Amino acid sequence: MNPQKRIAIYGKGGIGKSSTASNVAAACADEGYNVMIIGCDPKSDSSITLLGGKRIPTILDLLRDGMEIEEEDEVVFEGYKGVKCVEVGGPEPGIGCAGRGIIVAIQKLKKISQSMKEMDLIIYDVPGDIVCGGFVAPIRKGLVSEAYVLTSGEYMPLYAANNICKGLSRINTKLSGVICNSRSVSREEKIVSKFANEIGSELVAFIPKEQIVQDCERDGYSVLEKAGDTDIAEVYRTLARNIMASDCAVDPRALEDERLRELTR
Amino acid sequence: MQQKNLSIMHPRPSSIVAALYTLRDLNVEVAILHGPPGCSFKHARLLEEDGIRVVTTALDENGFVFGGHDRLVDMLQKVEERFSPKRIGVVGTCVSMIIGEELHEAVMEANLDAPVIEVEVHAGYNDNTKGVLFALESALDVGIIDRQEFERQQHLLNEATNVEKKYGAASKEYLEPSRGDVKYTVAKRVIEMLKEGKKGICILNAKKETAYMFADITLALQEVAENLGVEDNIVNFANLDTELGLPRVRQHAEHILADMDDNVKIDEIIGGLDEYPIAGQQVRQLIEAKYRDFDFAVISGVPHAIPMEALEGMELISITNGPRQVHPLKDMGHEHVLVEIDLHPKTLGVTNIVESEFGATLRQLAREE
Ligand code: SF4
Repeated sequence: MNPQKRIAIYGKGGIGKSSTASNVAAACADEGYNVMIIGCDPKSDSSITLLGGKRIPTILDLLRDGMEIEEEDEVVFEGYKGVKCVEVGGPEPGIGCAGRGIIVAIQKLKKISQSMKEMDLIIYDVPGDIVCGGFVAPIRKGLVSEAYVLTSGEYMPLYAANNICKGLSRINTKLSGVICNSRSVSREEKIVSKFANEIGSELVAFIPKEQIVQDCERDGYSVLEKAGDTDIAEVYRTLARNIMASDCAVDPRALEDERLRELTR
Repeated sequence: MQQKNLSIMHPRPSSIVAALYTLRDLNVEVAILHGPPGCSFKHARLLEEDGIRVVTTALDENGFVFGGHDRLVDMLQKVEERFSPKRIGVVGTCVSMIIGEELHEAVMEANLDAPVIEVEVHAGYNDNTKGVLFALESALDVGIIDRQEFERQQHLLNEATNVEKKYGAASKEYLEPSRGDVKYTVAKRVIEMLKEGKKGICILNAKKETAYMFADITLALQEVAENLGVEDNIVNFANLDTELGLPRVRQHAEHILADMDDNVKIDEIIGGLDEYPIAGQQVRQLIEAKYRDFDFAVISGVPHAIPMEALEGMELISITNGPRQVHPLKDMGHEHVLVEIDLHPKTLGVTNIVESEFGATLRQLAREE
């Protein structure tokens, strides 16, 4: 049996982490792997496309309502091809500390979940940039062993990606690759690939911008489920295979801001 | 899924404080509070009276936002340098836990010789025994206690929590503090009963170091009974088993027994000093087997942990150190309830029995008679 893969996907908010994560999860499930996806974003939309558009109760919603969660099936739901879906949830904007929420929820999950141990792949869909201790809790608590960074070729997402690399080296976590979720800017693949090389890593997938991803998402499905024979589905499949096969993670070296600007100029 | 239970409005010692006391019972020499400088200040000071040093990383606003990892590493090293302790504890606080500080990372980085017990705890638990549990778990991890003792402690904790919820300070949302009955009046009543030739059981069921003062009540009652020539009418129960409990707790039992030695005979040992939540069962069996016909009982320490069925038909004189324990005890049916105010500060750091107010009152009254 292969050792369990536990990955986190980081990247600037709104860059497409959730749709990438859920499509990768679906593609791996298609290949027969046991997959779990743990959404850590307060929006809780990592799993919605694996559950036919259904929203599941989040761990933090239950805890907020004063429930003692004791059984795994109160927070772990089965979606497309048996993918186990968990949503951490989060506080209201401007109240409390979302990072702390992730810490608490992850610890709870670890305590009650038996099936976590049986997974081939666990994907943590982490919100936004690495901004505080809570957001890296899955890593710190020993739950994640590799990270991927998602970006496009624009300056801001790259800036965030670069920042994340700083964070990763601080917490001694390896980077397994950079994924480009295209926004159709000029020279995009080149820019991101160069960025990836300069930080010591590589571009593992270039996901073109395609309306079909949006359309499937709106209907509440992954591309793999609703449009499995499209080219973009094939891109996700390749990425999924890459992730399952990857064994060359590196310590990323973040770039100077000046260099980053040059790259995107 | 079950709803969480009632939340208590009145102030109580927090899980952080509970963790600190547990570290002391594990003979930790220095405890570092990783958090704000004022956290748990009163107890931290009290514990210093008891011979353990409590220091803080003094996190400030900047620390809250940016983290306090370096300060903790620094403090660990400072502590080693300054005090060369044989055993160290690190205790989390609300602040450090909310921002996700990793105690373990800092401990690894500080790389000390002495074992460090890490307690990731904050004050936001309804059952403050959580702090004890976390400290014990960590002590188990570093090999300071074994699994058997851990499980024993865990069981006692559950029982203690149950007792507090049923009859104690966690039994109601808000409990009015009270100083209880006047000691003079109650002492008078006790002497009266002794003179009438009534038979009494003196039960010491104390929590750990509080026994240093509650044991004085056993002594005083004995003296008074002897003066009246009715010492045979009194039997003494005490939870002073010297073979049970964490290191420091056993030492307390030894000290107290040594101090009592010539003056009083303990007829029945009803468990260790950490067994106050479960000693009630033994008390019940003993009374049923041997002491059914006794007329009154003087119970000190944690009287609410003794089941009322065991005490049926007896007049009850109970002495506690919790002003919030008076009403629950009265509700249970204890006729006379007394409070030894400020007991705790007076029993920290001592190795001999300390005079109690009720004991002093009994002695004085007996002399006046
Ligand atoms: S709120 Fe928590 S961290 Fe702050 S002083 Fe109180 S117990 Fe300590």
